[in-house]
Amino acid sequence: MIRRINLTINGDKVGIDVQPSMRLLDVLREILNLTGTKEGCSIGECGACTVVINGNAVNSCLIVIGQCEGSEITTIEGLEKNGELNKLQKSFMEKGAVQCGFCTPGMIMSAYALLLKNPNPTEVEIQEAIAGNLCRCTGYKQIIEAIKSP
Amino acid sequence: MKRDIELFSTWKLDEALELLEDGNSHVIAGGTDIIPGIHINSNRFRDFNKLVDISRIKELKRISEEKDKIIIGAATTFSEIESDEILQRHLPLLVKAVSKIGSRQIRNRATIGGNFINNAPCADSVPPLLVYNAGIKINSIHHERMINLEDFLISPYRTSLTNEEIVTEIVIHKPRESLNDVFYKLGRRRGVAISRITLAILFEIKNNKFTDFKIASGAVTPIGKRFYEIENYADGKKIDRDLLIDISIRCGKAVLESTGLRWSSEYKLPVLQRLIYSLLEDNCLRR
Ligand code: FES
Ligand code: FES
Repeated sequence: MIRRINLTINGDKVGIDVQPSMRLLDVLREILNLTGTKEGCSIGECGACTVVINGNAVNSCLIVIGQCEGSEITTIEGLEKNGELNKLQKSFMEKGAVQCGFCTPGMIMSAYALLLKNPNPTEVEIQEAIAGNLCRCTGYKQIIEAIKSP
Repeated sequence: MKRDIELFSTWKLDEALELLEDGNSHVIAGGTDIIPGIHINSNRFRDFNKLVDISRIKELKRISEEKDKIIIGAATTFSEIESDEILQRHLPLLVKAVSKIGSRQIRNRATIGGNFINNAPCADSVPPLLVYNAGIKINSIHHERMINLEDFLISPYRTSLTNEEIVTEIVIHKPRESLNDVFYKLGRRRGVAISRITLAILFEIKNNKFTDFKIASGAVTPIGKRFYEIENYADGKKIDRDLLIDISIRCGKAVLESTGLRWSSEYKLPVLQRLIYSLLEDNCLRR
């Protein structure tokens, strides 16, 4: 049964007519064409699909759209404002924290959620915040550096 | 999700209970197990086509302190438990255990009720809840019942919950603040790891003797399990190296009895005994 789900995505109010049991990840990528959010493992282990809902980082492969009614969702596409990248995005580029880039959107969204609550995190707090994000390329060091000094 | 599933989301407990009345639906809260389970077509989630979402029902997310007990709504997320001051003060063992589960993203969604209703051997909230003697409140449209968590958990992935019921609350009598606690979790890595061993221990020491020694395990046993015989054995005994060795040997054997002998037992038994000994030594002797 298709239902209308109202929510806010990257600051825009949208109403989507959709099967409520569709994964948020699929709604983002296939209906809203927000393909910055990636699908890696599909089971909550890699963090590539991380988005921020009501200020909290979540795996969009582990939540269905029917659970998101009325929520405020931010994806990687929502960080850029008026053509200018967010300071986290810039810092990832400056510190060489991006190699193949597949983990990057999820990694940045986890970091973004951390900084919303804790603008000056310690290294341990950063490690804890990105423990659910796998990166096969960088070795994490540059990523942690980038989050430390955005 | 690949299969065609209807999802009903509600903000009201009564409405959720009504939706469950026909017995053909499955409850979803955090969904961190059910959603990927359906996605990979796991046989644990094939027998329903209707989901009732309770993740946003306020009364299932309340944490409250009464005169002699603490009540936790069953749909409270692990992140909410981690940051709650009442729980940090009264149930520190539970807070320690849930803060090691999954990742921040998972703890932001996964709920405490979902964790023990799944009743996976590795459900990390179970050993602490068992040593706290947690009770749970269960509701359906027609009745309400209270049951000890220990009696609720039947066998791996099975509990006494029926299709019409929702676990609504976890009720724990306030433990004395003088209790000491130890939580141990071993996984293959630190983040997003399935537990291989979990141990939860509570104890009090008076005149260098154990009083109120409680121990429960997870992951190494088929489901979370208390070891009453060992608890009774330890209580009232003078704490020294010999006693801790004795307790560790007995615990290892008790774990093995509950899992049965396997090809790996010869390796696991001494490792487990040694591990329990080091935990006890660090926490009870060197104080
Ligand atoms: S795709 Fe969601 S955690 Fe890997
Ligand atoms: S940059 Fe390639 S996975 Fe992280």
